[in-house]
Amino acid sequence: MSAVVFYLATIVNYFFIYNILAWGLNIQFGYAGILDFTYITFMAVGAYVAGVTSLGPPQPGTGVVYILGWHLPFPIPILLGGLAAAALGLVVGLLAINRLRSDYLAIVTLSVGIILYSLVGNLTNLFDGFDGLVGVPEPLNGQVHLGVNTYTIFYMAVTGAVMVLLWFVAQRLLRSPLGRTMRAIREDVDVAEAFGKNTFRIRLWAMVIGCFYAGVGGALLVGFVGAFSPDGWSTLETFIIWAILLIGGRGNNWGSVLGSFLVVAVLSEATRYLPAIPNNAFLEPALRNMVIGAGLIVVLRFRPQGLLPERKANFSEVRTAAPGLEASHAD
Amino acid sequence: MPTDTPILEVDAIVRHFGGLQAVDGCSFAIQKGMLAALIGPNGAGKTTLVNLVAGALPLHGGRVLFEGTDISGWPPHRIAARGLVRTFQISREWAQLTVLENLLVAAPGQQGEQLWNALLRPSVGRQQDRKLVARALDTLDTFGLYAMRNEYAVTLSGGQKRLLELARAVMSQPKMLLLDEPMAGVNPALTEQLAAHIESLRQGGITFLLVEHNLEFVEQSCDHVVVMALGRTLATGVMAELRTNPEVVGAYLGGDVVERAAG
Repeated sequence: MSAVVFYLATIVNYFFIYNILAWGLNIQFGYAGILDFTYITFMAVGAYVAGVTSLGPPQPGTGVVYILGWHLPFPIPILLGGLAAAALGLVVGLLAINRLRSDYLAIVTLSVGIILYSLVGNLTNLFDGFDGLVGVPEPLNGQVHLGVNTYTIFYMAVTGAVMVLLWFVAQRLLRSPLGRTMRAIREDVDVAEAFGKNTFRIRLWAMVIGCFYAGVGGALLVGFVGAFSPDGWSTLETFIIWAILLIGGRGNNWGSVLGSFLVVAVLSEATRYLPAIPNNAFLEPALRNMVIGAGLIVVLRFRPQGLLPERKANFSEVRTAAPGLEASHAD
Repeated sequence: MPTDTPILEVDAIVRHFGGLQAVDGCSFAIQKGMLAALIGPNGAGKTTLVNLVAGALPLHGGRVLFEGTDISGWPPHRIAARGLVRTFQISREWAQLTVLENLLVAAPGQQGEQLWNALLRPSVGRQQDRKLVARALDTLDTFGLYAMRNEYAVTLSGGQKRLLELARAVMSQPKMLLLDEPMAGVNPALTEQLAAHIESLRQGGITFLLVEHNLEFVEQSCDHVVVMALGRTLATGVMAELRTNPEVVGAYLGGDVVERAAG
C-alpha cells in the first residue's frame, strides 16, 4: 500500500513540476512566440543554483566540488534558482531577441544551450562537471524530519503551493493587456512594432518570466531528486517540454496541464510496464521518447492547435463606456 | 483643408540594397491636413520609402522630420507612438486574435501593458479596456465589421481584412497615416467605401500619405501628389497638372496609364 502511495506521490510531484515548466515555455512561445530551443538549460541553471545554495560547503576528500555551498534554508534556494535562470534568460534575450527573427533566435538558443552544456560539464569546479551534484538537502526536511515515503507526500504540498502561485501569475499575465499584446507580437511582430509596441522589451519580459518558471521548476526538481548532472538536461529534455506544450495546446495553460499529465503521468509511465528486455538498459528511455514523439505527431496531424486550443477572448457587449460592466477574457 | 504647416518632411533620404539604389536622395514635404498620394511606376522605391519613413529600415542618408522633430533612426514603435502610423501593402492582421482584439492592441497608452500593472494591478488594464472596447466597437460599426467582432481575424475575407487594417489604424489615434496601397486587390465597390472612410478621417483631422496605383482615385480625392521614379522625387503637385508633365508621363509606360486615368 505505502509503495503505491509513494509511487503515486512521486508521479504527482513530477506532474506539478512539469506543469510549472510547461507554463514557462507557454509564456515564451504560447504567449509571445519565442522559439526557445534550450528551455531545459534554464531549468538546469535553476536546479544547479538551488542545489549549490542549499548544499553546505563541499567536503574535501569526497571528490565533489562546486561553488557557493551557502546552506540556505527553504525557500531561498528555490527563489535564487528562479532568479538565476531569469538572469541568464535576460542575457540570452538581450543577445538574441533584439535583431533576430524567430527562426534565427531558435538557432541561437540551441547554440547557447550546447555551449553552456559543455561549460558546465567540463568546468568541474562549477557544479562538479559531468558527475553532477549529489546529496542536495530536501527542502524543509531539516525541520520536519520525515522518512522518504512521507517526505514525498509532504513535498507535494511544497510543489503544489509553488505551482498554484505560478498558475495565478501565468493566468493573470495571459488575461492582461500585456498578454494580449504578447499574442499580437506572436502573430506578427512587425505590425505590433508599427502600432507603437516596444516589441523588444515585451518579448524580453516573456523570455525572462518564462526562464524564471524554468528555474523554479528545476529548483523544485533538485530538491526532490537530490542530485543533478548534465544527463538530466540534454537537448532531448527540451523536446519533452515542447511536446507537453504542443500536445496540450499552446496559449492555454490548462492545455499545458493536460499535456504534462499525458506526457509525464501516462505516456512516460506506461513504458515502465513493458516487459523487461535483457541486456538493453537504454531501451526504456528510448521507448519513452518514441511514444512521446508518436503522440506529438498524432496530435499535430489531427488537432494541430493542441488538445485544448487557445481560448477566444470574449468581451461583453458594451457599446458606450458603461461603468461596472466587465470586459475580460472569458474563462 | 491642407494647411501651410508641414507635418512630414522627407529630406534627401537614401537607401540602397547592395548595389541597388532603391531610394536615392528623395525629398518632399506633406502639409498637415493633406490627403496626399505617392505614385510612381513599379520599382520606383515607394514601399522602401514607406519603410524608411516608418523606421522599419535604417536610412543610409538624409533625414525625416515629423512635426519638426528629426525622427531619423528612431525605432518603428517610437515613431508610431509619436502619431505617425503605417499600414502594410498586404493585409497583415493578427490572425489568431479576434477582430475586436486586433483593435484593442492597436490602441495606444494601455497602462495594462506595463508588467507591474499586468501582474499586480489588473484593474488598471481592465478599467481602461472598458473604454477601449466601447471605442473599438463603435469603430468596427463604422467600418461594417461589428458582426465579425468576436471572430478570429484570419477568418475575414480579403476585403474585410482591408477594412480591418484601416479600422485598426484609426484605433491607434494617429496624427498621420502612411497607407501602403490600401486599395490593392480590392473591388470597385470597396474602393469607394475605403475612399469614403479615408475622406471622413481626413475631415476628422488625420493627415494621409497613400501609396496608390489607382490614379482615378488619386485624381478625384488627393489634393497633393508626389511622383517617385528611380528612387527620387520626379514631380509634385496636383494630378491634373502632373498628367501633362512630360517627365511624369515618360516615367510610366509610354504614358499609357496616366493618360488613361486622365481620359
